[in-house]
Amino acid sequence: MADPYLAVAILFFFAGIVVLALLLIAEKVGPKKPSPVKGEPFESGNSPKGDARIRFPVKFYLIAMLFLIFDIEVVFLYPWAILFRRLGILGLVEMGIFLLILVIGFIYAWRKGALEWE
Amino acid sequence: MIEPFVGDLSLVVFLPLLGAMVLLFIPRSMNRVLFTTAILFTSLTFFWSLRVLWRFQSDSGEMQLVERVSWIPAYGIDYFIGIDGLSLFLVLLTAFLGPIVILASWTISERVKEYLFFMLVLETGMIGAFVALDLFLFYVFWEVMLVPMYFIIGVWGGPRRIYAALKFVLYTMSGSLLMLVAIIYLAARNAQVTQVLSFDLLRLYNLHLPYEEQFWLFLAFALSFAIKVPLFPFHTWLPDAHVEAPTAGSVLLAAILLKMGTYGFLRFAIPLFPEAALAVQPFIVALAVIGIIYGALVAMVQPDLKKLVAYSSVSHLGFVMLGLFAFNLQGMQGALYQMLNHGLSTGALFLIVGMIYERRHTRMIDDFGGLWKQMPLFSALFLVVTFSSIGLPGLNGFVGEFLILLGAFQATPFWAAGAATGMILGAIYMLWMFRRVNFGPLSRPENQKLQDIGAREIVILAPILALIVFMGVYPRPFLSRMRFSAEPIIQRVESKKEATPLIFEGGRSRESQSHGN
Amino acid sequence: MDLGNLESLKFFYPEIVLSGTILLLILFDLFIRNKRWLGLMAFLGCILSLVTTFQLYGMSPGWLFHHMIILDNFSLFFKVVSLLAALLVVWMSLGCREIREIHQGEYYTILLTSALGMFFMASSSNLLMAYLSLELVSITSYILTGFLPHNRRSTEAALKYLIYGGVASGTMIYGMSWIFGMTGSLDYARISEALFQGQTNHLALFMAFIFILAGFGYKIVFVPFHMWSPDVYQGAPTPITAFLSVGSNAAGTAILMRFFFPAVSRLGEGGDWLFISGVEWPHFLLMVSMVTMTLGNLCALNQQNLKRLLAYSGIAHAGYILMGLVVLNNDGLKAMLFYIVVYLIMNLGAFLVVVIVANETGKEEIGDYRGLAWRGAAIPAVCMAIFLFSLTGLPPLAGFVGKFFLFAAVIKQGFYLLAVVGIINSVISLYYYAGVVKTMFLDFPEPTDPQVTMTANTSALLGVLSTLTVLFGIYWGPLVHSLH
Repeated sequence: MADPYLAVAILFFFAGIVVLALLLIAEKVGPKKPSPVKGEPFESGNSPKGDARIRFPVKFYLIAMLFLIFDIEVVFLYPWAILFRRLGILGLVEMGIFLLILVIGFIYAWRKGALEWE
Repeated sequence: MIEPFVGDLSLVVFLPLLGAMVLLFIPRSMNRVLFTTAILFTSLTFFWSLRVLWRFQSDSGEMQLVERVSWIPAYGIDYFIGIDGLSLFLVLLTAFLGPIVILASWTISERVKEYLFFMLVLETGMIGAFVALDLFLFYVFWEVMLVPMYFIIGVWGGPRRIYAALKFVLYTMSGSLLMLVAIIYLAARNAQVTQVLSFDLLRLYNLHLPYEEQFWLFLAFALSFAIKVPLFPFHTWLPDAHVEAPTAGSVLLAAILLKMGTYGFLRFAIPLFPEAALAVQPFIVALAVIGIIYGALVAMVQPDLKKLVAYSSVSHLGFVMLGLFAFNLQGMQGALYQMLNHGLSTGALFLIVGMIYERRHTRMIDDFGGLWKQMPLFSALFLVVTFSSIGLPGLNGFVGEFLILLGAFQATPFWAAGAATGMILGAIYMLWMFRRVNFGPLSRPENQKLQDIGAREIVILAPILALIVFMGVYPRPFLSRMRFSAEPIIQRVESKKEATPLIFEGGRSRESQSHGN
Repeated sequence: MDLGNLESLKFFYPEIVLSGTILLLILFDLFIRNKRWLGLMAFLGCILSLVTTFQLYGMSPGWLFHHMIILDNFSLFFKVVSLLAALLVVWMSLGCREIREIHQGEYYTILLTSALGMFFMASSSNLLMAYLSLELVSITSYILTGFLPHNRRSTEAALKYLIYGGVASGTMIYGMSWIFGMTGSLDYARISEALFQGQTNHLALFMAFIFILAGFGYKIVFVPFHMWSPDVYQGAPTPITAFLSVGSNAAGTAILMRFFFPAVSRLGEGGDWLFISGVEWPHFLLMVSMVTMTLGNLCALNQQNLKRLLAYSGIAHAGYILMGLVVLNNDGLKAMLFYIVVYLIMNLGAFLVVVIVANETGKEEIGDYRGLAWRGAAIPAVCMAIFLFSLTGLPPLAGFVGKFFLFAAVIKQGFYLLAVVGIINSVISLYYYAGVVKTMFLDFPEPTDPQVTMTANTSALLGVLSTLTVLFGIYWGPLVHSLH
């Protein structure tokens, strides 16, 4: 069978086998001598400081999300600004609607207190 | 259903449903009014069914009082009903028992409204299934019977009611769904051959399928009907359902619902697939006779009156099946007649058991004895019904069983002899039971306080007994009306006799299979 | 008809109305005290959108937005279905205590956004659009599932849903990239052209389809992509469960059919669909359908929680609906569409009863329905019995007719095994549906069981749904007619 994709299928198959085999061999053959040093998190050779799981205030996520949203807005504004003359009034209206939707989102975030740090 | 139609037959079908709707508007607390309304509507149904009888022309085998309204034109589904000699008396029997069972339920005091509602819906389902001539419509009515019966057994039944109700529904449903597949297949095949998609039974009669296909379709239909009859290995739901159901439920179950099975064979399975029916004839006859003897033997050792009657049903329905599959006029007429007989006598037996149960709250035969002294009227009526069930000459049971045996001896002498033995066993267990209940010393103190039956109970039993006697001495009006409808079916089967391979004779069967492949 | 951006807007009213409603909802939520108005607003928006959808009915099919969106009766049908689902769920939410205690503004906003996503799912004619719309529906569904604050089950369900969804859509977009690689286009029409030239490799195509099916199957809930559904159904607020069970299912079916029909098959003579040779679709779908309904029904047998039971029964019904796709012709398609409508009605009805009971008792276990009919809730109990028997497929209820059409289509094409498996499954399903009915009617209540009453609002909705269930069971001609 001269099926070019057969090779891909065979590759999938063998990849799976290799992965499973490596895992199994490591599990069965490898000696296990756990020690505190081995159990430490890896930080590029430095000795770790403190706990890896620190608590972040949830506000950071909020800010990150808001940033993302308005960042994307700018991404869309940019091409429009370049083509502003060619798009004419229609483009302006279209952009107005786009901004309106975002402004509603902005008002929403504002009223809900997402912009206040405390 | 948009256009108005109020043919007589439709009225008979839908009057109970109308009654059920009316019941919904009556306050729950007014038990008397509820009962009266239900009786009113069922009686009206009965009177209207008499009108159907009056309009019925006894010298024709055609479908009569036909009503046909296009229902779902895109799929060739019609509201198509009609009546002939096969269904006429079953409809009458149903309508006749309607008011009786409601009167017999008078003592129910809890959830009366729902009870009567389900009873009336059930009646519509039953009558509808008997008159439907469109397979789709038939299937709808067939399944409509299921839900009310489920509730009647499940809510108002005995201690193991829930188990019995579920068992009943699952058994029946598993059979009938296969039938649905067969129905659809049949319609699709018919559409292939004739280019018309239709579920019209009369049109499907003309469809001739090769033997192999007939065989499977017959099996699908037959399974559904055999469960309902119940034919021997499919009978296990019946004792549970009968015993746990309230009196009225048992009566309807025995008198009408079981007849659905035999009627189904007669109306659908046999004429639609005559060759297949011929081929499996020995098999079904054997099962029927096994059922007759097995039912009788098991009935004999039952300590519980209701169970005894339930198993006697298995035995009696075996007779009906035997008669149907004799494929001759005597057998078929006998089977039809026996269907009515069984409806009356077993119905009456269940009513009687119900009456005694209401007084004593036990159905164990050992708890009774010597009732004749205490309740002479009751015992006398009981005796007549017992005799009817045994098949004493002069009462209705005799005519049916005689005809069936006559037919069966012509067709399959060996099995007919077995069935005759079953008749003797039937006499033994019924009489023995009767003796233990009604004769002997009146030893138990509870039994000495029993009241004889009152006016209401006489009103319930009297019409049934009158019919039992009437049908015993003058069967002619019944048989003559059945004759013209039964004959075409027999002819259909007869004409196929030559062409059909017998599957139980090795050589020819292999031959047929090789043809099929 | 192949329109550009501006011309398209004329045919885009339903979506515009819905989007407008969503925006207004966000704004009004900030300034209105009585949040009940928001629900009514959402309701009105749905009705308005529904009206505009109906105005578009019967037009000649065309493409909008440069071949991104297809406008034909098929997509309009699914728009109507999604809108009906949203409409009824909003109505249901108005009478649901669970919902009254949470942020209603966001709730209705996201609900309608989900419905909007379903619009696009039903009408996308481009793989990219399909992916985006699927994600829109998915993300809103995750949020809605986890909408109950301080409810562990709800949160757990949302997280599970998110993870399963992430994997499924990742797999799907991988499959899409294969298709793109093979055909050089994301547009269904071009894909179809490329595929029918016969240059593509069957094995690769098959793999790609399987990957894509993962994403669609996850929405339709067929095996083996069903694992999320029981937990999500149980954990989500009940109206949302109802919405997911019908809306997500219908939209998933729509996108699947959309993908199947124009992209990878052609209409042959006599209404049959032709497929690219070498790819055994019918048999593959046959297996999926049988496994799905069997597994769903078997798992449902032993459920104690009614919502969970309905989840498994939903899986089973997805299997039934797939039956229509197996036969690959217009009969099957019609049967599927009919079944989807019927399923929408009866399933929403069943969930409505769950809402009614939970409003009074706060419980959803089947044991809590003990003797429901005899403690003041005879009408909900009767309606529940109607819905459940209809789901089983007993005549004369709508579910029976739906199943009848499906079986008819299947039997006509000679898939007897599938029909028989379907039948056996119906019997199995009868067992557990009848078990619920048994608990409501045949078990008698204890004196300690609370009474259950309805408000005018819920009883009106209940009346509408149960009437339709019975009506379509007796006279369904017009509905079938409208499917043509």
